[in-house]
Amino acid sequence: MTLRTNEAQLVEMAVMGNISQPSLRYPGYTLDMNGVGRVLPGMSGIVYNARVGDPAFGWSGDHVEPGVSIANPDSGAEYALHYLTCIGNRAVVTSGLAKGAEGIVTGEHARLLIDFPSDANDLLCVGDAIQIFAYGRGLQLLDFPQIELKKCSPKLIHGIPMEVVDGKLRVPVTMVLPPRIMGSGAELNSEYVDQDIMSGDRALMAELGIDQMRLGDVVVIPDADHRWGRGYRKGAVTIALCIHGDSVMTGHGPGILTLMSTPDSCIEWVIDPSANIANYLNIREVL
Amino acid sequence: MSIKTNADKIVCVSVMGQIASPSFPGLPAQPYSLDSNGRPYLMPAYGGIVYNVSVGDSAYGWLADNVHPGVSISLKDDNGNRGLNILACVGNTAIVMSGDAKGTRGVVTGKSGRFSEHVIIHFDKASREKMAIGDKIVIRSQGVGMDLLDHSNIMLKSCSPELLEGLEVTTGSDGRLNVPVVATVPPHLLGAGAGLTSEGGSLHIQSADRDALKEAGLDNLRLGDVVALADYDSSWNHGYFRGAIGIGVVGQGDSQRSGYGPGVTLIMTSASGGINPVVSPGVNLSDVFTLNP
Repeated sequence: MTLRTNEAQLVEMAVMGNISQPSLRYPGYTLDMNGVGRVLPGMSGIVYNARVGDPAFGWSGDHVEPGVSIANPDSGAEYALHYLTCIGNRAVVTSGLAKGAEGIVTGEHARLLIDFPSDANDLLCVGDAIQIFAYGRGLQLLDFPQIELKKCSPKLIHGIPMEVVDGKLRVPVTMVLPPRIMGSGAELNSEYVDQDIMSGDRALMAELGIDQMRLGDVVVIPDADHRWGRGYRKGAVTIALCIHGDSVMTGHGPGILTLMSTPDSCIEWVIDPSANIANYLNIREVL
Repeated sequence: MSIKTNADKIVCVSVMGQIASPSFPGLPAQPYSLDSNGRPYLMPAYGGIVYNVSVGDSAYGWLADNVHPGVSISLKDDNGNRGLNILACVGNTAIVMSGDAKGTRGVVTGKSGRFSEHVIIHFDKASREKMAIGDKIVIRSQGVGMDLLDHSNIMLKSCSPELLEGLEVTTGSDGRLNVPVVATVPPHLLGAGAGLTSEGGSLHIQSADRDALKEAGLDNLRLGDVVALADYDSSWNHGYFRGAIGIGVVGQGDSQRSGYGPGVTLIMTSASGGINPVVSPGVNLSDVFTLNP
């Protein structure tokens, strides 16, 4: 079923960033939940062996950003990159050996995250320019004006097999996240990056099956209102996307990016283990 | 019974800040913030000398965003400000070193977190009248490094020896530390500050859902109230962990922003539940330190 949107009115425009270099503050320790200093890779750069569809947990890394991470050195252009880019947007390499290669935006962390086929990854260099066809800002579901969409491209909205049942939008998700474990990122506006799951209670992660989460999973957070910031509100519903991997830091964990949020109960969900953007955006087939 | 500590071994060192000016982003930014329903608002926020709001007053109802009672200080140098924000402890003495209020003494009552990073100090209202933005204030910081010798599963943070003494904590028959608090905050109502440092800054009670706030008995909090944080481990950053418990003081007033509300300055934490919060009405810094109005 096709959801009615205002996409015919959306403006598509270019934003760009450069492939980032991982950076560490000497001596690079991150404290884990036991106060032990760890040095771990994961953020920035080209991550060759973690991709959307892979597990979010279990890496010997921290905040692993799948695929290629890009940023713009100019502060204003950087915010444009963050605020205009949507999940599912097309990205094209515009310099270097991989010039012309095409990728897909799969997340937004402190940098924008893009999936390229692995043969393109092999040719990419830190600093290479990547242009994004930003398209989706302003998108609305015409039959659900109370739902605030964030970072959803029309391609993503039409790729997720949603249904309208008894006047409610039914969205497939892999799992339900309780609001009490939503942590770092609560201090930010909800147009910017993500909010981490607080995964420190490992036994709880296993009990609830959250430790089975994959990068790219679509999930639901009941009683979370992410329309204007990220906070607790009974009855609200937020649909979100796992964009980066787990963390050893207290109050951190896999990153959850807001896709849709409503203050009322017009969104319902159905558990579907295949609810992953790797499937929805035809990146690769997972489960 | 007095609780055994290593207080005789902890170092007392100066940290300096200057009375901070309120600040707003430059043009062409909007001056508005958005409340949890997306409505723009423009109100005083953190910083400055607040003449008419003090520790002991309500944390709610002020037409302000996370108001800091009394006087807020910071240092322009980022590393120096970090030193100030981390080493200053609730209960430390602050002394005005320049300007017309020179020599006046106050008490540290809280800290603010990411995007402001101030230390909040109580001075009596008459002294505030004499102060100017930019006045230098030195804090005799003491508390970082303090341990409870018989409670190795509890960490103290931003807690001065005077605060520990004034809280009248006791050791229970089960070996846990009994700490009087006015209320306990459930983890689903903790928001901004999660995942950030617990050595300074603030962790915010979420107040957008007023019914949930009332249900948790948090709708009548006062600035300076001592509260418990359920299922939060603040040993190294603040984060959810079943059975952990933290103790904090309400350092800042309410906010209209999503994920925000009264800001709490953490003073102790136990990942393994070594703290037993005992609900007792009226546990507030204004009484613990006999603050002059």
